[in-house]
Amino acid sequence: MQNERRDVSKMDNRQPIRVVLAKVGLDGHDRGIKVVARALRDAGMEVIYAGLWQTPEAAVRTVADEDADWLGLSLLSGAHMTLVPRVVELMRKAKLDHVGILVGGIIPEEDIPKLVQMGVARVFGPGTSMAEIVTFLRDKSKKSGAVRA
Amino acid sequence: MLESLLDKFRGGDRQALSRLLSMASRGEVPDSLLDQLAKPTQQSLVVAITGSGGVGKSTLIGRLIPIIRKENQGVAVLACDPKSPLTGGALLGDRFRMPALPEDDGVFIRSLAAAPGQASLAANLPAMIQLLKAFGFSVVVIETVGAGQGDTAVRSLADIVVLLLQPETGDDLQWEKAGLLEVADLVVIHKADLPGAEGTEARVRDILGLSAGKKAKVLRVSSKPGQGIPELWQTIQATSSH
Repeated sequence: MQNERRDVSKMDNRQPIRVVLAKVGLDGHDRGIKVVARALRDAGMEVIYAGLWQTPEAAVRTVADEDADWLGLSLLSGAHMTLVPRVVELMRKAKLDHVGILVGGIIPEEDIPKLVQMGVARVFGPGTSMAEIVTFLRDKSKKSGAVRA
Repeated sequence: MLESLLDKFRGGDRQALSRLLSMASRGEVPDSLLDQLAKPTQQSLVVAITGSGGVGKSTLIGRLIPIIRKENQGVAVLACDPKSPLTGGALLGDRFRMPALPEDDGVFIRSLAAAPGQASLAANLPAMIQLLKAFGFSVVVIETVGAGQGDTAVRSLADIVVLLLQPETGDDLQWEKAGLLEVADLVVIHKADLPGAEGTEARVRDILGLSAGKKAKVLRVSSKPGQGIPELWQTIQATSSH
């Protein structure tokens, strides 16, 4: 994806979208989430990289303390139907309903509607272009008012 | 909206603190409101950790957090990382190196993007520090962006400035230069398990010995094997109480 060059002097009062990216559980594959982190950075967002081996509790605490607009979870371990519901539940308990949840990684087709049903905004599988993720975040953030421009 | 947030804040609502910090970081919380907040009941300490990128600031703060918590002091970290001069985006990767302690309300970490040309610091830090103190955090740690020789503005924010150096950085002329070394209260030779730590310590001590007035202390610390961390915290407390 092409870097977008913006006039930095006009950017001072813009409030960038803040995204927490985390891997929950024991899966150690962090190449994909790092590529996404870099793409969102280059799209002008503030990416809080929480990294590997986060518990659902730790990921939710990070979102709360960082006052983030989005939480992106990457799962390649097959544990998504155990871990994602736990995160969604903890987010609700923490009154973080205004924060959108994204899931990326290896998610079987039949699980995607279930994840969306439980409150995940979108699931991005292998082959997703970075532009698609950026566009989704920008569009949805405008709607929810999370881009506080 | 600000008033209701402040009410929640006074009631100890962590989410209100988080939101107010965001507003303060944008300069949206007026000083008059900050001044109405309750004064901290206990003594507070603002510690700045600075040094070049990759010297181990985040890792060392991660090591200090459990030690500070053992003393039952609340600790908040304001961790700055650079904002892109091209896109305004940022990859904030400091808390990644700090322990995730979601069950401990005595630890709060906020990642901040610092604009280019801001001396390695995010904007509006004093207001954020004031909020964290008023919320009850008795220790506030500021982590600068990887700092260069001239990034001395941190001095005015903190009670104590800790400068991290690593082995094999600079010869003796390097340490004669004006700037960051002059504003440090404490110099840590970090990664002291690596070869050359003693030599770097000796050179820095020599130079600091020549300066007039208060002399910065020099300590060797190694976060990887975890050596010298409790001693560092003791020294920080002892130095700041003078």
